[in-house]
Amino acid sequence: MNTPSSLPEMLHCADMTVLERQRARVKWQQDPLQLHAQSEGQRYYYGGGGELNGAFGLGQSIESLLGGGGGGVVFGDVPNHQIKPDPGVESGWLSSFDLSGLAYGACGFGGGTGLDANFAINRTLSCPPAVVAAAVSPAVTPAVTVEKGKESAVSEKMTQAGRESSKKRKTDKGHNTKIEDDSKGKRIKGCPEEGESKIMVQSNSNNNKEASASTSKENSKVSDVPKPDYIHVRARRGQATDSHSLAERVRREKISERMKFLQDLVPGCNKITGKAGMLDEIINYVQSLQRQVEFLSMKLAAVNPRLDLDLDNIFAKEMNPARTASFPTIDMLSDITNPAYLPFSPTQTVASCSGMEIGINPDSGLRRTISAPLSIPDTFVDSSCFSVIPAALCTTFPNSQ
Amino acid sequence: MHSASSIKQKFLKKWIMGLQLCNSSKKNMTIMERRKAIKLSADLALASVRNCTTRWSRALVASASQNDDNQALLQHIIGSDAAKHKKASIDVVANSTTSVAKKIASKKILKRSWGIRRVRKLSNVALKDPPYSIAKRLVKKRTQLLKNLVPGGESMDAISLIEETLDYMVWLRAQVDVMRSLARASERLDGK
Repeated sequence: MNTPSSLPEMLHCADMTVLERQRARVKWQQDPLQLHAQSEGQRYYYGGGGELNGAFGLGQSIESLLGGGGGGVVFGDVPNHQIKPDPGVESGWLSSFDLSGLAYGACGFGGGTGLDANFAINRTLSCPPAVVAAAVSPAVTPAVTVEKGKESAVSEKMTQAGRESSKKRKTDKGHNTKIEDDSKGKRIKGCPEEGESKIMVQSNSNNNKEASASTSKENSKVSDVPKPDYIHVRARRGQATDSHSLAERVRREKISERMKFLQDLVPGCNKITGKAGMLDEIINYVQSLQRQVEFLSMKLAAVNPRLDLDLDNIFAKEMNPARTASFPTIDMLSDITNPAYLPFSPTQTVASCSGMEIGINPDSGLRRTISAPLSIPDTFVDSSCFSVIPAALCTTFPNSQ
Repeated sequence: MHSASSIKQKFLKKWIMGLQLCNSSKKNMTIMERRKAIKLSADLALASVRNCTTRWSRALVASASQNDDNQALLQHIIGSDAAKHKKASIDVVANSTTSVAKKIASKKILKRSWGIRRVRKLSNVALKDPPYSIAKRLVKKRTQLLKNLVPGGESMDAISLIEETLDYMVWLRAQVDVMRSLARASERLDGK
């Protein structure tokens, strides 16, 4: 359903001049027919709006009918159960009106299917009317039976309409993606916007501030949907906030993308939704790592007073063999340096070992792949470290002592 | 570029080099001094392995270079192109300090200029207090915290902060790994 996203626009348009409204509609559905229908819809809407509001009290159905331009005509007709097509309207139009009008009436009867009916109407109306007319025209004859009150036929026709409309939905890419992506937040989004739109319908005042607020809210909500055409529409509205909101949206997208990476990287972060919670996790993790560094340096400092030199020397041999001079076993052969070289390389392999177990981690891909496995080989590494290093170091100790 | 193992090896080498230098330059250190030296050398080694290409590494080097005692260590670890890095890092520091100072000043001015109007509007705002503003405040607070955690984070915007955090986290983890394995090794050695 594209009402949640398109409606505030439309309703907002209702306060503008006819020309502006028409332009907006053209943008929304590129169908010239819509223009005729729209003006009619408007007329009917103004005529029967209040009455209908009282009669149905269904904000959504009103929206859905409004959303579909021509729906306004149906709107006016349905309560009286008579179809009064304008002479200027094409026959195709007429049939489509027939159908949707009757469908609407039917949904009024069969309370259970009310919602579905609404959806169906929505869909059919959101499609370009000409196509609807063409596709639906075979269904017009059953529509007559509906008028007699057979609800089975209604449902059948409804499904038909639904199918056809769903077919069209696929063709209707721009709206389609919007629908898919919005579906999650639709429920939340739908309510406040319905409320707002109702207010606007009732008051009909030119409350610019409110309108801009609602559009900006909508902006932020739909921000995660990268749709060039949609942005295009936004840009054309010519409000001062537009460039800002565009930039803001791009920025937010970037941030959320990176946040996803971070989410992958931080263990136990993938279940958390919401930026604040994620940031909490990240902060905790970084802090814990930093504390670990502190702790380890403290530990090393505590362990090392006696050992500092030894370790240094062990590593120093690797770095510059000349420093073995500090060892008591200096008179041992110069190739002592080679056995002494050994203990370092195991530690190196220990270090590398952890890398190996992670798998191939090219620096660029590091961020993703490193995430989970690193914590596991950690223990491996350390256990292997026990076995490898002491053995290697023990070999040197007898030598040196 | 590098694999994780080669990164760790490089880091270990540099770190040990730094430790050596610390050890040779200063005898009979207290445990706290040793700790400091170990941490500093580890940080510098990390930064140098990262080639001072990221902001956090530059900030690490910069914060180390502020202390004159560390100059030798810095020279030793960072190496020949230390001058270049130092220059860059000093720039970073200068930038960050000035920008922070500027920000504070501008905030003060802003507060002062808004002070009168704030009082009037406060009740109104408090009445509404929409939920998204609460969320925004929470996120802001946490972002500030994160900025304090990541070296050089004070002068970053949100996007680069997150990028740097990503990078920093990976490297910090490597650092922790190496340090842990070394600590275990030395512990083991100590027990012998």
